[in-house]
Amino acid sequence: MAASDSDDSLYPIAVLIDELRNEDVQLRLNSIKKLSTIALALGVERTRSELIPFLTDTIYDEDEVLLALAEQLGNFTPLVGGQEHVHCLLPPLESLATVEETVVRDKAVESLRKIAADHSTADLEAHFVPLVKRLASGDWFTSRTSACGLFSVPYPRVSSQVKAELRTHFRNLCGDDTPMVRRAAAGKMGEFAKVLELEYLKSDLIPLWTNLASDEQVQNDSVRLLAVEACVSIASILPREDLESLVMPTLKNAAEDKSWRVRYMVADKFTELQVAVGPEITKSDLAPAFQGLLKDCEAEVRAAAANKVKEFCENLPADVRETTIMTNILPCVKELVTDANQHVKSALASVIMGLSPILGKDNTVEHLLPLFLIMLKDECPEVRLNIISNLDCVNRVIGITQLSQSLLPAIVELAEDTKWRVRLAIIEYMPLLAGQLGQDFFDEKLNNLCMAWLVDHVYAIREAATNNLKKLVEKFGSEWATSKIVPKVVAMAQDPNYLHRMTTLFCVNVLAEVCGVEVTVSVFLPVVLKLASDAVPNVRFNVAKTLQKIGGLFDAETVNSQLKPCLDKLKTDQDFDVKYYASEAILVLTEAA
Amino acid sequence: MSAATGPVTDKIDPFSKKQSVKKPKQKRSQASSRYKAKGGTELVPLPQLKDATPADQHELFIKKLQQCSVLFDFADDCVSELKSMEVKRFSLIEVLDHIGKSGVLTEQNYPEIVKMIAANIFRPLPPAENAEFDPDEDEPTFEASWPHLQIVYEIVLRFLESPDFQPSIAKKYVDQRFVMKLLELFDSEDPRERDLLKTMLHRIYGKFLGLRAFIRKQINHIFLKFIYETEHFNGIGELLEILGSIINGFALPLKAEHKQFLIKVLIPLHKAKSLAQYHAQLAYCVVQFLEKDATLTEPVVLGLLKFWPKTCSQKEVMYLGEIEEILDVIEPSQFVRIQENLFKQMSKCVSSPHFQVAERALYFWNNEYVMSLIEENSGVIMPIMFPNLYRISKDHWNQTIVALVYNVLKTFMEMNSKLFDELTASYKADRQKEKKKEKEREELWKKLDKLEISSTANSKTVKAVPPMSPNSAPPGDGSANYSPYSPTAHRLMAK
Repeated sequence: MAASDSDDSLYPIAVLIDELRNEDVQLRLNSIKKLSTIALALGVERTRSELIPFLTDTIYDEDEVLLALAEQLGNFTPLVGGQEHVHCLLPPLESLATVEETVVRDKAVESLRKIAADHSTADLEAHFVPLVKRLASGDWFTSRTSACGLFSVPYPRVSSQVKAELRTHFRNLCGDDTPMVRRAAAGKMGEFAKVLELEYLKSDLIPLWTNLASDEQVQNDSVRLLAVEACVSIASILPREDLESLVMPTLKNAAEDKSWRVRYMVADKFTELQVAVGPEITKSDLAPAFQGLLKDCEAEVRAAAANKVKEFCENLPADVRETTIMTNILPCVKELVTDANQHVKSALASVIMGLSPILGKDNTVEHLLPLFLIMLKDECPEVRLNIISNLDCVNRVIGITQLSQSLLPAIVELAEDTKWRVRLAIIEYMPLLAGQLGQDFFDEKLNNLCMAWLVDHVYAIREAATNNLKKLVEKFGSEWATSKIVPKVVAMAQDPNYLHRMTTLFCVNVLAEVCGVEVTVSVFLPVVLKLASDAVPNVRFNVAKTLQKIGGLFDAETVNSQLKPCLDKLKTDQDFDVKYYASEAILVLTEAA
Repeated sequence: MSAATGPVTDKIDPFSKKQSVKKPKQKRSQASSRYKAKGGTELVPLPQLKDATPADQHELFIKKLQQCSVLFDFADDCVSELKSMEVKRFSLIEVLDHIGKSGVLTEQNYPEIVKMIAANIFRPLPPAENAEFDPDEDEPTFEASWPHLQIVYEIVLRFLESPDFQPSIAKKYVDQRFVMKLLELFDSEDPRERDLLKTMLHRIYGKFLGLRAFIRKQINHIFLKFIYETEHFNGIGELLEILGSIINGFALPLKAEHKQFLIKVLIPLHKAKSLAQYHAQLAYCVVQFLEKDATLTEPVVLGLLKFWPKTCSQKEVMYLGEIEEILDVIEPSQFVRIQENLFKQMSKCVSSPHFQVAERALYFWNNEYVMSLIEENSGVIMPIMFPNLYRISKDHWNQTIVALVYNVLKTFMEMNSKLFDELTASYKADRQKEKKKEKEREELWKKLDKLEISSTANSKTVKAVPPMSPNSAPPGDGSANYSPYSPTAHRLMAK
């Protein structure tokens, strides 16, 4: 200990101060990021008495530096001496919580919340709560905004008198003159509600929440929509008997708010709200509200509601589930299937298949199947894709045969879509489709498609197509591969286009293992070795890469008699890259041996 | 030619098959968001105002206003309501004709007129069709109900500008709530609407003295929300334009509130992504402030330097433009206060690899007033500027820049040849000094890292550190969020 108190120990703070004053932001940033190193070197006492005051005094810098500082301080508790000294971190964080830049402020609040847990109850009241109060009554809106996030953490641990003060401050923030502060308060209302005693929740917070949710005097929909979020927490805490009178009127208003943003928020949170209010209110109030949202005049709202159709139906109480779906929800869904807006349709398509396990076989065949068929023919590829990607839900209920007639044209069309991302998406569903449609159907209808993708003009598609082959072989077995796939892959090695010849190599890379050593040695290897004398260098160095990759499959004799000579020859190639990859492959193969 | 590219590569060329990604140009996109617009009310044409007897005219006018308050959903297929919509349009036109006439603005008419205006213009704005709307590239979405809305806005203006108009009566109806809703409309994507709103707000600001402070405060809030929360608001430029003339009318000395607005709102506005859309108006406001009160120069320039763009060259060019506008009106005494910080940035700009930035910065030397300021302070500025200028005079990729740099160096030489010679002579030595300093810094950090390790190994204080609070994790876990830099420390903590 005494040894570290030599002159050397003056270094860290000197370096830091020097670096913090550097003109280069990057250097300042570096030194802030090393703050814990410096603190550790200084020891807890000097960190408290020198470093922290120094930091508190010098907070005027680029936001990037401040952000790093705010983050660091959140982890500083052990570095200043643990619980009994942690409050010395409050002053710098308090300043950081008042700066203009939102990310810095948010990080400071996050760190404050973190270190609040490290405070003893006494320190919490003596140091932390006064800080919250100071921030809550700050001049500029930034400090008041930050304060909103600091109530729920200390509240459960302080005395009832301090609690009352905190509640008063929170109330003031909810009625703040600045919309930014009201928004922050509305945003934190949910978490504050969770730590509040039930009686104060009812007497204090709910009236505030109702006020924000109507935010009438200023017509600010941004405040109202945050209040919808808080509604989820509040509703889940309140006893059922209070929901009807305290929450539902506000929620119903929100579902019919004249601003589409608020209605969107309700739609977006709908299933959470459903769980929070419970089955009875769901039956009586939410189902009609949901219908309204599904028929909303704004596409945004309809899409958000459509997204929730499956989950909402699943969560319906069992006794009324089927009737509610059949009489209330399904008619709306039917309309949405032919909605004018493609986002709405695509949102619906991503969940609609999930209805069939809920409704069972007969209803699926009678009511849902026609809808699936319409959507499979939709003009928007995303809608079709979303249907195809969820086939398994339906498969389990009614099997896929009833769909296969419509499925095939849809798949073929997507496979040839002009947008490569669409083609990519459908390739990714191929293994799944292959499994559900069966080998015969696949060979007859889809195999050609899979091979055609190998010569697509977009690399990403060719790459996905090779990986797809691997998955198919895993599914249908090596024998199937030898008869249906390998010949075509091998034939491409003769193609005049060098990119196709490379595709052969890429296929070998992924197929060698799943096809087995036998096929690889007898069929693939000769082809690969022959390509080593290709005219195009890219092909040649990919031969080296392939040999490196599949080398592990062969016995020592094959490696020495066939792979090595080929690679040795490539190593003397004229092309720099070929030489490089050849020698790398030799190295790997030798090491493996 | 074909031998060079070859038929093979042709086939694989991703561009050969490329089709236009963009959809065929749709007709102008239009939107409107009326939730449960009333509809269904069939309007019956009323007799024309000009045919009514003066006695009946008043009552008929009120009826017309009520007819004008009925809303239609233009976004919907509203063929069924076409007739009623035409009736409303005729009524609107008649009201427009009538409202400017003398004797129309009786006290009883005010609430009806304002009610009609509010019913029509106040509405939730529709969702943006294009989330990444770029005003330079994309067509804005136009308001679908414009055929009616436009006439309503014209009525508003004629109402406010009528010689009979009495703010003292109107203020009962044109209140804070009215203004609040009005300001929200500035987010409209339709430029025609924003333009009319601008005139409307301007008139209101001019005629309703009691609302002025409120309007300024709410504009403040809109800007702050834009800067710190959403970065999206279509009407920033229009609001700034109004503010430009408001600032022009500020009395001297400036109130603290106004100064705060400049420093805490206008300056941060510079950092938004979409600065290009409103930069001209913003720069105008800033310069207006500086012309009123020169002592604000320092905080303004330092503020701009703080937000100086790090990666966006287009924005950097705009900043440089604004700085030059500021320098045009700067007082020499203020210039001295900011010259050091400013020219450190200028030195980076002239050596920017982006030639537009470098070029814009070098153009400062064509400005006579700026040149005279530089000349007066050449002792400070030349040493800051010289190293970078000297360096890029040799290795900037763009010949125009090299030529401009030579000119600047030449002016420096003429300005202060003695200092210039000294700087040239010491250039190499200075660079070496810098390199040495760089090395020393690295050494220091290495030393510090070592020191940290040795101090954790030796010091007992570290070991003794955290008496864990009862409600935090047990010591073993406590060290996990301790994130020490050396594994040694980690082990020590766990003991």
